[in-house]
Amino acid sequence: MKLYEHESADIFSGFGIRVPERILAVTPDEALSAAEKIGLPVVLKAQVLAGGRGLAGGVKTVATAEEAQAVAADLLGSRIQGIKVRSIMVVRKVDYDRELYLGITVDGFNGRPLVMVSTKGGMDIEEVARQNPANISSLSVRVDRGLFTFEARKLLNAAGFPSRQIPGCADTMVRLYQVFEAYNAMVAEINPLVICTNESLMALDAKLEVDDSSLFRTAKLIPKNHDRNESYLEKLGREIGVSYVELDGDIGIISSGAGLGMATMDIIGQRLRPANFLETGGAITEDLLYKTMDLVLTKKGIRAIFINLYGGINPIQEGAEGIVRYVKEHAIRIPIVAKALGNRQEETWDILRFGGVHVVTEVATEKAVEKLIELIELTG
Amino acid sequence: MSILLNKSTRVLVQGITGRIGSVQTHWMLAYGTNIVAGVTPGKGGTAVEGVPVFDSVLEAVEKTGAEASVFFVPAPFVLDAFIETVDAGINLIVVVPEHIPVHDVMKMKAYSRKHENRGLFALGPTTAGILTPGEAKMGIMPASLFKPGRIGIISRSGTLSYEMAGILSSAGYGQSTVVGKGADPVTLTTLSVILQHFDCDAATDGVVIVGEVGGVQEEEAAKFIADGMHKPVAAYIVGKFAPQGKRMGHAGAIVRGSQGTFASKQQALRDANVTILNSPIDVIDWAKRIS
Repeated sequence: MKLYEHESADIFSGFGIRVPERILAVTPDEALSAAEKIGLPVVLKAQVLAGGRGLAGGVKTVATAEEAQAVAADLLGSRIQGIKVRSIMVVRKVDYDRELYLGITVDGFNGRPLVMVSTKGGMDIEEVARQNPANISSLSVRVDRGLFTFEARKLLNAAGFPSRQIPGCADTMVRLYQVFEAYNAMVAEINPLVICTNESLMALDAKLEVDDSSLFRTAKLIPKNHDRNESYLEKLGREIGVSYVELDGDIGIISSGAGLGMATMDIIGQRLRPANFLETGGAITEDLLYKTMDLVLTKKGIRAIFINLYGGINPIQEGAEGIVRYVKEHAIRIPIVAKALGNRQEETWDILRFGGVHVVTEVATEKAVEKLIELIELTG
Repeated sequence: MSILLNKSTRVLVQGITGRIGSVQTHWMLAYGTNIVAGVTPGKGGTAVEGVPVFDSVLEAVEKTGAEASVFFVPAPFVLDAFIETVDAGINLIVVVPEHIPVHDVMKMKAYSRKHENRGLFALGPTTAGILTPGEAKMGIMPASLFKPGRIGIISRSGTLSYEMAGILSSAGYGQSTVVGKGADPVTLTTLSVILQHFDCDAATDGVVIVGEVGGVQEEEAAKFIADGMHKPVAAYIVGKFAPQGKRMGHAGAIVRGSQGTFASKQQALRDANVTILNSPIDVIDWAKRIS
């Protein structure tokens, strides 16, 4: 889960990382009073969970409080990278000489935190890496040991950070690592960390993404009641307990596993357009598949549904009951093709067939998709 | 022959008294798995499906000689159970549960690294497990799709390993062993280590990798294959139509920037002379060619 910049900035500040004075505004009037309170000039930063915000016009410097009000009025409600702006962070404008980069991510391959630093701050770090990987220096951290300040100093030195700033940057780096640990983060990043004209350091941006699987212990540390940038359907999916990703086609997909769901999406995508990715995980019940049918059909214009289930950990016969109950109660007429294999498959097929679902008993999803195409062509 | 697991392997089930643990114990026993013990703290002295339950892993090992363990432990307790299991001397650990905190998995991986030299091998988290057709299974794989034979399968996804095995089985090509690597951003083993096991197994003719978008596992495996793999390898990668930055069910299946994309994985594997399967069903032609 990605946190908003203002949330991340508050967290970083709580760990002793210097961030500029800031106030969150959700109306133009609030932006006006925030600008007056902080002192001009100020920077208005649209709070959206998307990259490339600056280039998309989401960051504006203003010289007067009235201008702050007017710019806020423009920004609020507008869309940046397709995401509606609901709040703005009003920040004191900081004068600086240099932009640096500090970041920590989970290195999936080594299974270790990877600390990265660069003197090329302020740019997309992936772009920096593409242009010249030598511009980024990194250190793989042993989780049972943590990050020590002397190691951070050594890394910053190797990366060519200005020597007078190395102790301060190393201190910030270690504090960022503390945030990374405490919040079970997937990514913690300051881009840019600037050297101000008075030579102090300041985090001009704050990025924190926490591990969804750790929320049972970190949720209490994270602000609540925020719209986290999911589509309405994705949120519904999370609420009923399935992973739903909205796509732009018209063939609904229900699968009992992530890999199977992606394969189904790819196979259907060769000939038709998937409306969604959906996987139930290992917790199928009658009720879950009933709700899942409803979720998939909430999206407008669904032409057909393709169901792909395996009974390993899942009781697929119970799932089948939920599907056919939904079809019956809502008098669904569009074609539904199901492939369901594994434990208790024959029983599952009987339930589905009796409920008007087309069952394909071959293993290959390709064969079942052929059946789907055939049915769609029949119904026009 | 097979890799890692066979019918004589003495298996322990952790979390055996839970809803999923007890049901899966039933299916594993039905498949012929040599389950010798179960562990659930506080339930020692009871039995599940005739299998004796112990309070601790060490006790189970001492009393039954258990040498491999499969986890049906709730995610928040897996780190603790894992350290306990390694300390009790178990050398094959299959971590089935999903939603384990990534920071816990990093600690588990660090701990298992320290014991690599004694032969510790751990799979998961978020794995369907490991199955040697006709012999034994540790995990949740539905038995009906697998047939004994000479093709190895390594998969990040459980369901897709069933699909791949099922397609091969129905075309007359059985499997030596089917291994679920796990689908999390951090997993306890790497594709290369599993490939190495298959490369050394006299009963395996070739290996199918079922990968997906996210991470750099497939790219790293490509290096290993190019450098030292002797047997033919085929790969099927899913997530061609996965939008950037979205978590596609598995926590590990997120495309971040230019890393872990469908294209980068296919390219790396193709460069290593791996046969790229555009669709699962294409595996039949490949199996025909190498058999």
